[in-house]
Amino acid sequence: MKRAVLFIGQIAFLIVLYQLSVLITATLNIPIPASVFGMLALLLLLSTGVVPDRFIALGATFLNKHLAFFFIPIAVGLMAYGDLIRSDGLSLFLMIAGSSIIGLLVTSGLSAILSAKGREKQ
Amino acid sequence: MTVFFILLTIVVYAGARFVAMRFPSPFTTPVFTSTAAVIVILLLMNVSYEEYTPAKDIMTFLLGPATVALALPLYHNRVVLMERLVPTAAGLIVGTISTIVSSVWLSAALGLSETIQATSSVKAVTTPVAIEAAVIIGGDPALAAAFVMTAGIFGAVCGPLLLTMAGIQDPFSRGLGIGTVSHGIGTSQAVLEGPVQGAVSSAAMGFASIITALVLPWLYPLL
Repeated sequence: MKRAVLFIGQIAFLIVLYQLSVLITATLNIPIPASVFGMLALLLLLSTGVVPDRFIALGATFLNKHLAFFFIPIAVGLMAYGDLIRSDGLSLFLMIAGSSIIGLLVTSGLSAILSAKGREKQ
Repeated sequence: MTVFFILLTIVVYAGARFVAMRFPSPFTTPVFTSTAAVIVILLLMNVSYEEYTPAKDIMTFLLGPATVALALPLYHNRVVLMERLVPTAAGLIVGTISTIVSSVWLSAALGLSETIQATSSVKAVTTPVAIEAAVIIGGDPALAAAFVMTAGIFGAVCGPLLLTMAGIQDPFSRGLGIGTVSHGIGTSQAVLEGPVQGAVSSAAMGFASIITALVLPWLYPLL
């Protein structure tokens, strides 16, 4: 019972933090998505000890574990593009897949090489 | 009907998670199998996306707070991130630019329209940034959201496999690449691969969107 109250309270806290981020980024015209702004703000709150991590751990861990769920209803929106998929689907897929592979290997490859070099120096 | 659509999505997601645990494979990645299953069911029921939208709006209410919650793995892994600031920054900047350039050039090479070329450049970043950035350079915002979803699912399904094939085992570098090219959807998979992957992918997702928003308006006209 106590765990359930704690869980709901933590989720409510994250909702408030997100809504505040929406408000701040909109009023101050900050060109960063509210969710990313909120993530950085919470990181700052945790790092400075204003919010201890046990204060959000239960709710945050649950949301992290099921993050994929929240994207499903949005991704279902692809069904509205049936015509485009039928006409240009293959080209579009090749472009998205090809460019994602290039970006992925460049990012991870460069980071792996530079990290290995950094470790050699030490 | 809205209640039914919500229950349907939850049941499909729970089933997809079960299948992914029983048969671990890139092709059983829950976000991929669930999305495909829900689309097939809606089409069979002759339901349009407009009719599903009220259910979508309710279910995505927690997406923002869930993204904010990614600060927790970030916080737990802050020491690793600070130690590897140079490889992180270099990977992020070069990786983001190569994703943008390759998508525009590939679209042009495949004979896709100019609107699609512009829209393709934002596909790697989180939806709100993608939509705004697409509009600035003459892309289509609705199409941008569709590309972002496809890139995200592709990264979640194929990203870990491709990295393993390329011999990149380092959890830090794996998370960085996945977050950079496939934003929150890739991150949702990276979180499950391991805590370091999840933390780095969250950071990469955030910074890739910031870099894209800053760089794209002047980079795109040069391509």
